[in-house]
Amino acid sequence: MEELPRLLLGGLKIGAVYSLAALGIVVIHKATRTVNFAHGALIMLGAYFGFFLLRLFGLPYALVYLLAPVAVGGLAAGTEWLFLRRLRRSDAFSVVISTIFIGLAATELIRVAYRSDLLSVPQVWNGPPFFIGDFVLTRETLWIIVGALFMAGTGASLFAVARFGRPMRAMAASARGAQLCGYSVNVVYAQAWFLGGTLAGFAGLFLAPVMGITPELADIMIVPAFVAAILGGFDSIKGALLGGVVLGLIETLSAAYLSSASKSALTFLILLAILLWRPRGLFPESKIRDV
Amino acid sequence: MSDDQSSWRACRGVAGPCLFTILLTALALPFGTYIQYVASLCLIAAIVGVAMVLIVGFARVIMLTSGAMMAVGAYGSTILVERLDVPYLLSLIAAAAFGALAGAVVALPASRFRGHYLAMATLVFQFVIIIGLREWSSITGGAAGLSVQNAQLFGHRLTNDGEYLLFIGLAATVAVAILTTLLYGHYGKALRAISATEIGAESFGIHVARHHLFAFVISSAAMGFAGALLAPRVRILDPESFGFASSVFMLAYPVVGGMHSVWGGLLGGAILRALPEALRAGQELQGLIYAILVLSVMTLFPRGLVGAISDLARRTRTPREDRTLAAAKLAATPAGRSVGQSIERPLALEIDDVNVSFGALRAVDHLSLDVRAGTIHGLIGPNGAGKTTLFNAISGFIAIDAGAIRLFGSGLEGEAPRLRIAHGMTRTFQNVALFGPLTCIDNTILGLGRNGIGKSVGASIAQLFATTGDRARRQVALEALAAVGIDHLASREAQSLSLGDQRRLELARAIASQPRLLLLDEPVSGISRDEETGILTLLRRLSVERAITMLVIEHNIHFIRRLCDRVSAIALGRILAQGDPETVISDPQVRSIYFGESALTTHVGPP
Repeated sequence: MEELPRLLLGGLKIGAVYSLAALGIVVIHKATRTVNFAHGALIMLGAYFGFFLLRLFGLPYALVYLLAPVAVGGLAAGTEWLFLRRLRRSDAFSVVISTIFIGLAATELIRVAYRSDLLSVPQVWNGPPFFIGDFVLTRETLWIIVGALFMAGTGASLFAVARFGRPMRAMAASARGAQLCGYSVNVVYAQAWFLGGTLAGFAGLFLAPVMGITPELADIMIVPAFVAAILGGFDSIKGALLGGVVLGLIETLSAAYLSSASKSALTFLILLAILLWRPRGLFPESKIRDV
Repeated sequence: MSDDQSSWRACRGVAGPCLFTILLTALALPFGTYIQYVASLCLIAAIVGVAMVLIVGFARVIMLTSGAMMAVGAYGSTILVERLDVPYLLSLIAAAAFGALAGAVVALPASRFRGHYLAMATLVFQFVIIIGLREWSSITGGAAGLSVQNAQLFGHRLTNDGEYLLFIGLAATVAVAILTTLLYGHYGKALRAISATEIGAESFGIHVARHHLFAFVISSAAMGFAGALLAPRVRILDPESFGFASSVFMLAYPVVGGMHSVWGGLLGGAILRALPEALRAGQELQGLIYAILVLSVMTLFPRGLVGAISDLARRTRTPREDRTLAAAKLAATPAGRSVGQSIERPLALEIDDVNVSFGALRAVDHLSLDVRAGTIHGLIGPNGAGKTTLFNAISGFIAIDAGAIRLFGSGLEGEAPRLRIAHGMTRTFQNVALFGPLTCIDNTILGLGRNGIGKSVGASIAQLFATTGDRARRQVALEALAAVGIDHLASREAQSLSLGDQRRLELARAIASQPRLLLLDEPVSGISRDEETGILTLLRRLSVERAITMLVIEHNIHFIRRLCDRVSAIALGRILAQGDPETVISDPQVRSIYFGESALTTHVGPP
């Protein structure tokens, strides 16, 4: 039982990244009614963009954390503006399907360029770890937990409180109403994809030193991101934040005390259970909306 | 006659795809072993393609677990053959059963959810199955793979590509025939009806969740079967080859081919499965080319290759005369049950002290209302009075909090909307809820209400053989169309009709099952004056000829006055006044609340 605090910290670390990932999905879904299956690919791109800026351009980490996520956000907004917008005219169903193939295209493009080599980036903090009693907290872990949760919190308030999120909130409440109030669907959708993409970029950037950088990141991250979002109620901002942390803890603990394979079986069982018995998630938004 | 024609058309619908698989087999047979090998892969992909059309195109679920389903079949059959000495043919059937079972598990959330939640459930299931196969290595061989021996049929071991091709061609033909029968039959129509309007489908007796569950079961069974066919061809099964990437590749089959027809699945599957073989040179570029191809097809041809081809064909061909038009002009006398104008009419509908609340808002407030059999009863009242809420309570879409609703003397408590058609009650909707992409005749056939999952599968098969049951259904549907005067539009798509004709079609669908009570929600809103008079005469005639009791919501007072025998005015969920139309309309309270006369007088004068 001595290792419990260490496990909890590990769960919190991966959970914080899941929160970022889930939040991006929820933001995009709320504002544009599109389930983004390319989100895993966006996260992967965040890690690669970080690698490009660090290794190819030799930028310091501070700038990388500023530029890489924004670049992913810009790419996501560009995809919406140039491609999804056209498709949306015919059928909302095909927009969702197309995100799957957009994700595939991005992953394959990276694979062609870099094969499946495991690239790595240095840790952000290299100083000595902190000792609390007889247990060790590395600077890296602290940075990821605090940094990722802080960014997720910032993203959530940008959407839910700040002026920047108002058009998206309006679109989420009623697309027609928002249009009547003078918000352009095209602009607001692009904004939502930008915000969601930026959050995905951060998730990838926080993940990169821990997991290493491969095209596989896209597939590895898509399932926990969705499950975390569903855990939180899928349309709930607060739910996505908490859902990520809860999922991270459950996964880490079950991998440690049961087996690593049980982790994924458990993920599916959680998903089934939530869908069957608590479809509005563990942390639903207070307002009841039509399903 | 049209009945034989419809059966012939149904047979042709199934024969075409079967001919495709047979032809593909026959054409590849004379070639070398490599072509024969690729053709077998394409045939297997064609089965998957049609199964994907069923689940993606018709049930509109984004299926991301086809790889896992094939793995379930492939591993299941191989383990049965290798470990338990089960004959290969039997193991094929077992593989379909394993697939069906897995499909049922994934579809569990389908009882509550549609769309994206299901897509995510399939996504997670895909990953879980592959991890399971990799971890459970004592049985599955784990990541190292499971080797498969050549298939043995009746003591004969298949050894060369030609033999395999023949066998797989035969198996694919059978599988495609079964899937096509379902897709082009009553079952496929019910699925499309659900995706057009779930509420409409539900109120005509289609059990939405069961139809979706069956879609998962049957398509997963087909994928399991396809996996078992594939197993001896790939020699070594490894979990990665059935991974998420393969599921995404297979999702492209219906998207590229066209997801609304069996042909889309066949062509998409066959072409896309052959593509990687053609692109052997640039192995590492395959995935990228594939993704770009799919995205380009989606942008350029939203309805897939089949859609593009049929558009092209339509442009070159001259429009031909509507063939069922003539057929529809057969003696269309309504099967009316004329009713004696007895003085003591029984109660058709009793609404007894009913309450419906939404949170703090009481939409229907201790409301009691009787509708006598054979009458046309009007329901008027301002917006928000609770008229549509009352309709939804009667048809079962909203649960009542207190009170009772009785239909011809029997209570309806807790009965699902789809069961109420059996009590002789149907309805129309304020914002027309037709099955848009289906033809008028198919809309009306669905209106007959025999839409339980067993019946709808049975009817799909019956259609092939033009059984008397199938004939009778079409005949009754045609009569209903004739009764509302749109039998000449029988083979037109519902969504292509004018609003007036759509309202007529809703009526035809509603009266096809010979209901005793018909609920009409604003039957003349948004249509022209001429149409209004047409509908008025029509409703009066239907009421007499078919002895249908009607409860009508309408804001058009002129229409209500001419149509109804009795009128109830309601406001804030309560009855304001009841009686014959003139009395109710001239009631001072009704005039003040509904027509706003007092408000009008107070505002007259200087501003």
